[in-house]
Amino acid sequence: MAENKQVLIGENLFDMSEGKPSLIVTHCKSCGTYFFPKSFTCHNPECVGKDVETTNLSRQGKVENYSVMNYPPPTPFVTQEPYEPIVCAAVEFPEGITIIGMMEGVTAEQVKIGMDVEVTVGTIYTKKTGDEVIAWKFKAV
Amino acid sequence: MKDVAIIGVGLHPWGKFPDKPWTAMAKDAIEEAMKDAGVSWKDIGFIVSGSQLWGGRKGIYSGTYTEEVMGNRGIPVVNVNNACATGGTMLTVAAMAVASGAAEMVLAVSSDKSAKGFFPALPVYHEEPVPSDDTLRWNLGLPNPVYWALEMRKRMAKFGDTEEHLAKVKVMLSKHGKLNPKARYQREFSVEEVLASAMVTDPLRLYEICATSDGAGAAILCSKEKAKQFTTKPIEIIASALGSPLYGDPTARIPVVSINPKPGVPVISESWVAAHRAYDEAGVGPDDIDFVELPDNSAWHVLQYFETMDFCKEGEACACLDRGDMAIGGRIPVCPSGGFSSFGEATMAQGFAQLYEMVLQLRGVCGDRQVQGAKVGMSEVYGAAGNNAAVILKK
Repeated sequence: MAENKQVLIGENLFDMSEGKPSLIVTHCKSCGTYFFPKSFTCHNPECVGKDVETTNLSRQGKVENYSVMNYPPPTPFVTQEPYEPIVCAAVEFPEGITIIGMMEGVTAEQVKIGMDVEVTVGTIYTKKTGDEVIAWKFKAV
Repeated sequence: MKDVAIIGVGLHPWGKFPDKPWTAMAKDAIEEAMKDAGVSWKDIGFIVSGSQLWGGRKGIYSGTYTEEVMGNRGIPVVNVNNACATGGTMLTVAAMAVASGAAEMVLAVSSDKSAKGFFPALPVYHEEPVPSDDTLRWNLGLPNPVYWALEMRKRMAKFGDTEEHLAKVKVMLSKHGKLNPKARYQREFSVEEVLASAMVTDPLRLYEICATSDGAGAAILCSKEKAKQFTTKPIEIIASALGSPLYGDPTARIPVVSINPKPGVPVISESWVAAHRAYDEAGVGPDDIDFVELPDNSAWHVLQYFETMDFCKEGEACACLDRGDMAIGGRIPVCPSGGFSSFGEATMAQGFAQLYEMVLQLRGVCGDRQVQGAKVGMSEVYGAAGNNAAVILKK
């Protein structure tokens, strides 16, 4: 039996080339704002330069808030079967952007506001073909 | 909005009607509104219709099909979709049609059969090089209520709002809804019962998140001057304002996976913008409002909108709830209709459930749920992706 493949949730989202995963963001050199997922322009209405570049976001942030999703939503949402509650968090990064994602390795009781986390990459669900879909996640440090 | 009046309203009861087409529900709402106004189909000169998300081609061009159901007369039709803010948006477009002189008498109608449970989403036929926010959240398992839960968690940390407060919101709304014969759920809930319901997305429980329903509503608009031919009690639209977000909004609005919060930008800024634009347009302030139909998609919404619409200061909504300010008979009754909590969401039509209640309240015909002495009512609808609309009516 062929080994199950890992497939990305989408292209242009995270960079694994440095060994540890980083989120790929757009940085506006004119006004300093960061955007995720990356964008072809800067969305700040006050910014006149809109000179954007692609870069990696720093790897650590803090949990700003969180929720635990206890029931699987319907298609086209896709979730792991059998369903396990998903701990999701909004994480603030030093660059001033907050990003939402799943937490890894914490229970509903363990997740806390202010918790230091790092970006990781992990399986979010397994397809019927056996392929694992991977996305960015957050893990306590 | 200048000199535009509502002379008739209709509302199909809300619930689940699997054997009844949405076009038949629309017809019932239109006929009630026309009867209420004392006009007939041949009087209608313009149609604004809520465009549905889940009805396929027929749903997207809902007004065009509705005109056919009622009898094609070559009436201009505009199909409108601003997510769950479509109701308020339709009213704005309909009022603009009257105010501009495009038509003497305008029908605004919306009929919707919502998807069951958590809302699914529409197919994307052209995926972009960078996945869309919706594609990401479908894969990350983030349905709408997760976004509301994330915001509620912030309030709990910042202001000390509790799970009991969330339950009390549902109880308050259910006391109003049990008095409304058009509501889907006409019974009172207890705090214990709400707290015992399933924790869906922490801290929001099943009974604190509105259900999804089938529903339809209609309204007939004309100029204030023309309204005198039909009624001695026209209801005037003194504001119908749209809002969209401000850059730097600290709220994670559906369907984003990131935000760029900036200091000084209000939470749910699209709603703040629409509410304040409406106050400016009407020349009134929150103290002039006698009751509010706000978008209670979840218990979080009630607490947040009470503050966003300036009925109290930031962080004080729970104190107002505890004091009874939001109940019928209180300082500023919230959702005397029972709200979406008692009706369920019928996405494109729900703004017209609010409108129906506002008109009836201002006419003083709401019986046991009447807000005594109501002269000015306000509503606001909350739509995904930063869509918003606020309406102020005056008798």
